[in-house]
Amino acid sequence: MSARELSKDPLNVIIAGVGGQGNVLMSFLIGSALIRSGYFVTVFDNYGASQRLGAVASHIKISREDANTSPLLHEGDADVIVGIEPIELLRNLTRFGNPEVITIVNTRPVYPVSVISGDEEYPDLDKTIQTIRNLSAQSWIVNATEEAMKLGNSIYTNVILLGALLGSNAIPLDKETMEVVLKEEMPKAFDTNMLALHRGLDMVRNTMNE
Amino acid sequence: MSNIEIDEPGTTQLLLGNEAIARGALEAGIGFATAYPGTPSSEIMATLAPIAKKMGIYAEWSINEMVAFEAASAASLSNIRALSSMKANGVNVIIDFLVNLQMTGIKKGLVLVVCDDPGGMTSSNEQDTRPIAKWLNIPLLEPSTAQECKDMTKWAFELSEELGMVCMVRSVTYLSHTRGNVRFEKLPDISMEATFADAYEIDNPKQSRFTCGMQFHPYKQSEALLKRFSKAQAHCEDSPFNSYNGPNTPELIIFTSGICWTYATEAVKILNLQDRVGIVKLGTTWPLPEEFVSRHLERSNKVLFIEEISPLVEQSVMELAASLPADRPRPTFYGKRSRHVRAWGEQDLNLVIHSIATVIGTSYRSRQSSSAEYQSTLKEVAQTLPARPLTFCPGCPHRASFWAIKIALQLDGRNGFVTGDIGCTAMGMISPGSFQVRTYYAMGGGVGIANGFGHLGQFGFRQPVIAVCGDSTFFHASIPGLINGVWNKSNFTLAILDNSTTAMTGFQPHPGTGMTATGEPGNKVNIEALCRSLGVHVEVCDPFDLTNTITTLLKLIKDDGNAKVVIFQHECELVRARRERKKPYHMYVDPSRCIGEECGCNRICTRVFSCPGLVWDRDTGKAVIDEAVCEGCGLCAEVCPQGAILKEAL
Amino acid sequence: MGDNASKELYEEVIDSGLCTLCGGCTGFCPYFVIHEGRIVRLHQCKLTEGQCYQYCPRTSTDMDAISRHIFGIPYGEDEIGIAKEVFLARSTDPEIHQKAQDGGVVTSLLSVALTEGMIDGAVETKLDDEKVPRGFVARDREELLECAGVSYEPSPVLEAINYLPKENSEKFGFVGLPCHVASLSKMKLSPPDNRANIENVKLTIGLFCGWTLSHGFHRFLQERFDLSNAIKFDIPHHPAHSLDVYTKSETQSVDLDEITPFINKACSYCIDMTAEFADISVGSGRAMFKGWNTVIIRTKTGAEILDIAKGRQAIETQPIPAESLTNLKRASLNKKKRSLQNIISMTGGVDDLLYLGISQNLISKLLE
Repeated sequence: MSARELSKDPLNVIIAGVGGQGNVLMSFLIGSALIRSGYFVTVFDNYGASQRLGAVASHIKISREDANTSPLLHEGDADVIVGIEPIELLRNLTRFGNPEVITIVNTRPVYPVSVISGDEEYPDLDKTIQTIRNLSAQSWIVNATEEAMKLGNSIYTNVILLGALLGSNAIPLDKETMEVVLKEEMPKAFDTNMLALHRGLDMVRNTMNE
Repeated sequence: MSNIEIDEPGTTQLLLGNEAIARGALEAGIGFATAYPGTPSSEIMATLAPIAKKMGIYAEWSINEMVAFEAASAASLSNIRALSSMKANGVNVIIDFLVNLQMTGIKKGLVLVVCDDPGGMTSSNEQDTRPIAKWLNIPLLEPSTAQECKDMTKWAFELSEELGMVCMVRSVTYLSHTRGNVRFEKLPDISMEATFADAYEIDNPKQSRFTCGMQFHPYKQSEALLKRFSKAQAHCEDSPFNSYNGPNTPELIIFTSGICWTYATEAVKILNLQDRVGIVKLGTTWPLPEEFVSRHLERSNKVLFIEEISPLVEQSVMELAASLPADRPRPTFYGKRSRHVRAWGEQDLNLVIHSIATVIGTSYRSRQSSSAEYQSTLKEVAQTLPARPLTFCPGCPHRASFWAIKIALQLDGRNGFVTGDIGCTAMGMISPGSFQVRTYYAMGGGVGIANGFGHLGQFGFRQPVIAVCGDSTFFHASIPGLINGVWNKSNFTLAILDNSTTAMTGFQPHPGTGMTATGEPGNKVNIEALCRSLGVHVEVCDPFDLTNTITTLLKLIKDDGNAKVVIFQHECELVRARRERKKPYHMYVDPSRCIGEECGCNRICTRVFSCPGLVWDRDTGKAVIDEAVCEGCGLCAEVCPQGAILKEAL
Repeated sequence: MGDNASKELYEEVIDSGLCTLCGGCTGFCPYFVIHEGRIVRLHQCKLTEGQCYQYCPRTSTDMDAISRHIFGIPYGEDEIGIAKEVFLARSTDPEIHQKAQDGGVVTSLLSVALTEGMIDGAVETKLDDEKVPRGFVARDREELLECAGVSYEPSPVLEAINYLPKENSEKFGFVGLPCHVASLSKMKLSPPDNRANIENVKLTIGLFCGWTLSHGFHRFLQERFDLSNAIKFDIPHHPAHSLDVYTKSETQSVDLDEITPFINKACSYCIDMTAEFADISVGSGRAMFKGWNTVIIRTKTGAEILDIAKGRQAIETQPIPAESLTNLKRASLNKKKRSLQNIISMTGGVDDLLYLGISQNLISKLLE
């Protein structure tokens, strides 16, 4: 298993979503796979409010040389943002995005209680997706939740997005290492997780990137 | 996920700071570990407890931090290395014992791990615990990375034993909850035997070393403490956890500790100042390694301090500088005192970049600002994004409890209010709990402060007071307050919201659940029986039975000059759902009956009651159940005035 | 002007001492409930226009508009309102007499209306187990009898109407005090949304009323007397100064001075003693005619039901003596004058008469 070169060092990735959507697991899988490939990885998950449907994000810094990168990205320093939820991707874009950012977004919204109670309005989804496209150098729009439901449970959303991330080649993650990690970490659901991973991969490879 | 019990020296795993601390304790050969749940420290015990038995370790969630730390001390006094971990507020709870433990010192390594919460993201306050170490003469270590979390925790036990005193390892959220590469070392192969060597000896009766005062006199013990502590500096002077990186004579030298070292290092790289700025890393923050520090102070006449949260290193180094020979050039100090570094809230890479840039006189423009148009678009977009405020989970019994409390207090009509406490019940302060909680301070504070309110009747006070606490909080700190109210006849009602778990921090067990940290059953302590044994009026309700709960509350809050208890008993929904994997009811809305915004309803279900499983569809103007989120508890059906929300038992 | 919804209702009426606890704002939404003799706002409603405000008898009430709607003419100077006929009447049914306060005419008329199929039920007041009056729908003779008798405490009768779901198509009779009838009249003038059709209230019977006694009065009485034996209550005319409690064996009394603290202050702003907007208004026959009711027929509907009741011999009538009628008119006029003065004292002038929408002419007349 050879490690690919990083397009920049450190390479900064954000996985953004809502508490309960599995960003912690996702970032752990990515990090585990990367350290097997010989990288130094720093992963920070803010999950203080995750159980109560708060906004959550994982910050992943990937480096060949630096064992001690700091846990949080700074303004405008994201290279890749994966959004398990569209507004959360956009929220992190406004803080950490820059004209070169690559984004992968799941199109399924999760309404905050402030929207549910009518105090705030959830922005128009199509406009949101378009804004994400406009603010990214490259963008993949993935209907991961829908595909996950086809596999039987929305719980597979994040593995599908993992596949999409793999397919985008945005980070030096290789499929074989990821499969090994998936097998070790979640042996029971391995077969379905493989389907999910490949589904995400295919969705991205088959799409013209925007 | 992580597997810290393996004995494969040289392997590298991606570990949380907290997991690394646990691994460090294992590599140090501990036999005893105690804790009370508290974010961001909980993962330490959560990692140790499941493997404790296998590793031959005793691990316990204690009723509170005080007992936790006291128990760990016992192990240390009996030849067993012990670890006790907690959040900052927990240290406040142990201070009395800690102060006295310092008088006697300890035997085998005793390490106190405290995880601070800069910014107070998951706490009632923002607190830097490090000054307590300085104040009490406790050696203080601040790891900067996950690897150091392991290595320094391991070393802390050695240091503690060398000095015969407890050592503090201090982490913060961004260290405890960050994963990094951690290279394992070997696990020790030792057998541990516990004996307390200071038991009474008939032929040599004398006061035990591990007692305070009396023949040993506190002032003499103070002198002994300072002697013990003075040896600490020597150990810290050449510690590998203190280091310097940078040019020989930089324009600016940064003194930093803990996670801030990673911010400073990365910031210097981003600003491209590697040739102009040097960084002094302090791992042994207290006692200050004075020779090491004064050596590096000579390098530059500009010194910047970056640390979380209070200016401890800043003040300590400035104290040291003031004591150095007068002919030494005195640098200009920058930090919290000079306002170059924010003195409140959490540090992050952004802030550190700007602090360094300002002090050295350079400017920084992020990748965002490379395009003014891009940046202004981002600003516009940010305004349109809805926030995600905290709420109770769908199906949470606290939603029902606070709804009932609100209605009861409104019906009562005497401006009654709730005094709150720490935990999920704290959300009674905000919208999900109908803004019912009106005072909120510390563990046990709810019933404590209610005691006072309950004695103001002689000054014309007529407002009914309901003190609210959770079941874990009740055990931790509310019992003395309740007993005081019973004994001194204070007029309040204590509502114990018993959801059979310690939810906010991650569903840890407590005495009322009968389960212990390791999964072994313990003896269950029954809250209702405990309260009844006090001879007070006790009622037990299911908060989901709104009518009965409201009627009971109305009865209890009538003035009768006594403390009363009501227990709202209903299991935490997340725990129940995980176990039963099915919902009690299938909920749905009949749109033909829903009148939504119109007079007669004004969207009470989503606007006032508010549950994530119940969504307002702006397009159709009707409420709708979100099946993916709804837990099927059935409460919203009682709230709808039109009977439009329906439930089917499953 | 501002908004006309729950917040304004609370500030202008409930918290200002004008609320008569008629219940017009309770029963159809989750925001207002009645509890221990108070209207309680449970939650915050954010509407700027609300039915609670619209139908409250103590918010802006256009007496002319209501009078035109019912009688075809503006609100006039008649002391006891439009009165086609005034007479004394009583039930012929001994069972009704046992339970009723005076002549049992209300129960009798409703019983007839029920039997005739003119109504499916009657919205009345019933005392619950704690002797607290609540709105109740009586759907048979037995339930009617349960509602017979007096309630001195104000009753939120209207909650029982408000509570009826949209789909309900039953026809109802209604018994209430002048403030209840006023609220109902406002509803008929401008029918409410999302509720059962208000036109289904086919027959309105109003009761004469001088004042109500506040929550707690029934308990006070219960503590004084064994009310299980009480048959009737009465407050006789001057020079008597008492409230009399008639039991099977004897009559006991409470001095009026003990009662006056319970009098609802809100009642001192009310100008309608005889429920002028009802189909039929019914009062006590007073001491002179113990066991009889004074009855005023106002509308065609009222006249119809009276004829049927007489035809079925459910009630018997006798003419009202001139002196009694004069006394009634004078008492009613005095209440109008006193109440108008009370309103002017509260507001400071005739320019602001709170809820009262009456003509300048009438104001001048009453101020003479």
